[in-house]
Amino acid sequence: MTGKVVRLEEAVAVVGDGAHVALTGFAITRNAIAISHALIRSGRRGLHVSQVIGGMETDLLVGAGCVERLTYSGGSLDRFGPLHAVNRGIGHGSVAVAEYSSLALTLRFHAAALGLPYAPARSMLGSDLLGPLLTSGEVRLAADPFEGSPIVQLSPLHPDVAFVHADIADEAGNAAVGGPTWALRESAFAARSVMVVCEEVVPVGSIDPDAVVITATIVDAVAVVPNGAHPTAVYQRYDFDRTHLQNYAAASLEGADAHAAYLDKFVHGVPDHAAYVDLVGAST
Amino acid sequence: MTTWTRGEMLTVAASSLVRDGDVAVVGLGLPQVAAVLAKRTHAPDAQLLLEIGAFEPLPTESAMGIADPRLWEGSTSFGGMLDVLGAMLHGGRVTLGLLGALQVDPWGSVNSTAVTGDDGRARRFNGSGGANDIASCAGRVLIVVQHHPRKFARQLEFLTSPGRRIRNQSRRQVGLRGEGTAAVVTDRAIIEVTDEGPVLASVHPGEDPEAVRADTPIALLEPAGGTVESRAPTAAQLEIVRTDLDPQRWYTA
Repeated sequence: MTGKVVRLEEAVAVVGDGAHVALTGFAITRNAIAISHALIRSGRRGLHVSQVIGGMETDLLVGAGCVERLTYSGGSLDRFGPLHAVNRGIGHGSVAVAEYSSLALTLRFHAAALGLPYAPARSMLGSDLLGPLLTSGEVRLAADPFEGSPIVQLSPLHPDVAFVHADIADEAGNAAVGGPTWALRESAFAARSVMVVCEEVVPVGSIDPDAVVITATIVDAVAVVPNGAHPTAVYQRYDFDRTHLQNYAAASLEGADAHAAYLDKFVHGVPDHAAYVDLVGAST
Repeated sequence: MTTWTRGEMLTVAASSLVRDGDVAVVGLGLPQVAAVLAKRTHAPDAQLLLEIGAFEPLPTESAMGIADPRLWEGSTSFGGMLDVLGAMLHGGRVTLGLLGALQVDPWGSVNSTAVTGDDGRARRFNGSGGANDIASCAGRVLIVVQHHPRKFARQLEFLTSPGRRIRNQSRRQVGLRGEGTAAVVTDRAIIEVTDEGPVLASVHPGEDPEAVRADTPIALLEPAGGTVESRAPTAAQLEIVRTDLDPQRWYTA
């Protein structure tokens, strides 16, 4: 059952220009950085990225010009700073944004995962988040059919592919992560295809079923990429790389040229993630 | 004589409004420090939750934010957003939300999305995250901000998270539960948000109510018994903040 283990570049090759990609990291933790690098190297354009909270993986892709649409509920590099490339892209109009609350977007994934026509919620009522989403038709206002009070109806959100950074996966794709899972499961179950990037791969049957967060049943490919989340953290495996994140945040803040110089050095300047890891000197 | 920073005063003032037994979803940064301080002092039975899916963390190290695994230390269980923002919060089990703000209006509604800078250009910030959900669904909400005239607006540029009233509509009219923002806590004062409007309930030691009003570009009502002085931080509170919760002074300088 080794058929699902592929090279990272093969996992990324399924993503065409204009594809809808769900990312599942959060700020400075468990970002599929290796995936973002591979997508940038392959020159993908026009992607629709959906993600509950954006992080460095998102900022990299937007700064590299790969992203045309972003569906999210905000994001940051925590105290290292805002997602400057994302904010610049939205500010300049090069990235179209649909902005939600975290629960509302999680529920859109959840509705897609369950095959529901929509998910009802009270989140976003009365806020300015609602207006643009009503205009685009992604959400509707309705009366609760039982109680009659106002309710938001959230349409299902189906990504073409979800990328998941896991601590460990077996050769069939059963994947385990440590710590909180935010919207990881909902995003993966909503997607038509799931690609797992893991630090370590083991034979089927070696992972405690209790620890599996993403079942192999929905996983199409597994790529083994040690330090694949660097410079973001992986709970109980490695810490975030403070200096690298500071330097990235500074480049992202400075502007498009500094961001491009960062990409030239750390993404285009190396052939693959192993070479990137050598360059930054990371080790687990 | 005991002295303290403005950030420490803000932390202690916000902490004092956390009740023992509260089930609280807490935003990143100073709200986090204030909530843990409450749990370590007068509210040992408060339960603190992180929107990402961490239950009752009790970190002993400063964290860079909500995604920093240091902040999850001591958690009694992990889940996801559907557990915390869904089952706990939307499900009506959360009694308190603690949030930061870019800008706040007289009803305690919050902008955390974008403001116009001095150059006239919109500056985007971190967006809602779970803040809108918390403000929409928690039993009551505390907003924590630095006391700067720019932080207060009669009309928000962007209403990210609803307060006690929403542009002259009640929470019930727009379909929300909970009472909304109960207080805006700053490094100079505690402003209670009531159905009549914002009330200058207390100013922190050394502050003059009129000077605070002068730096607050929204009208503050006078409480029935007059504005009182907030309780000063105790040596024990300061010790916990300085030694355990924020030794690097990232949040409480």
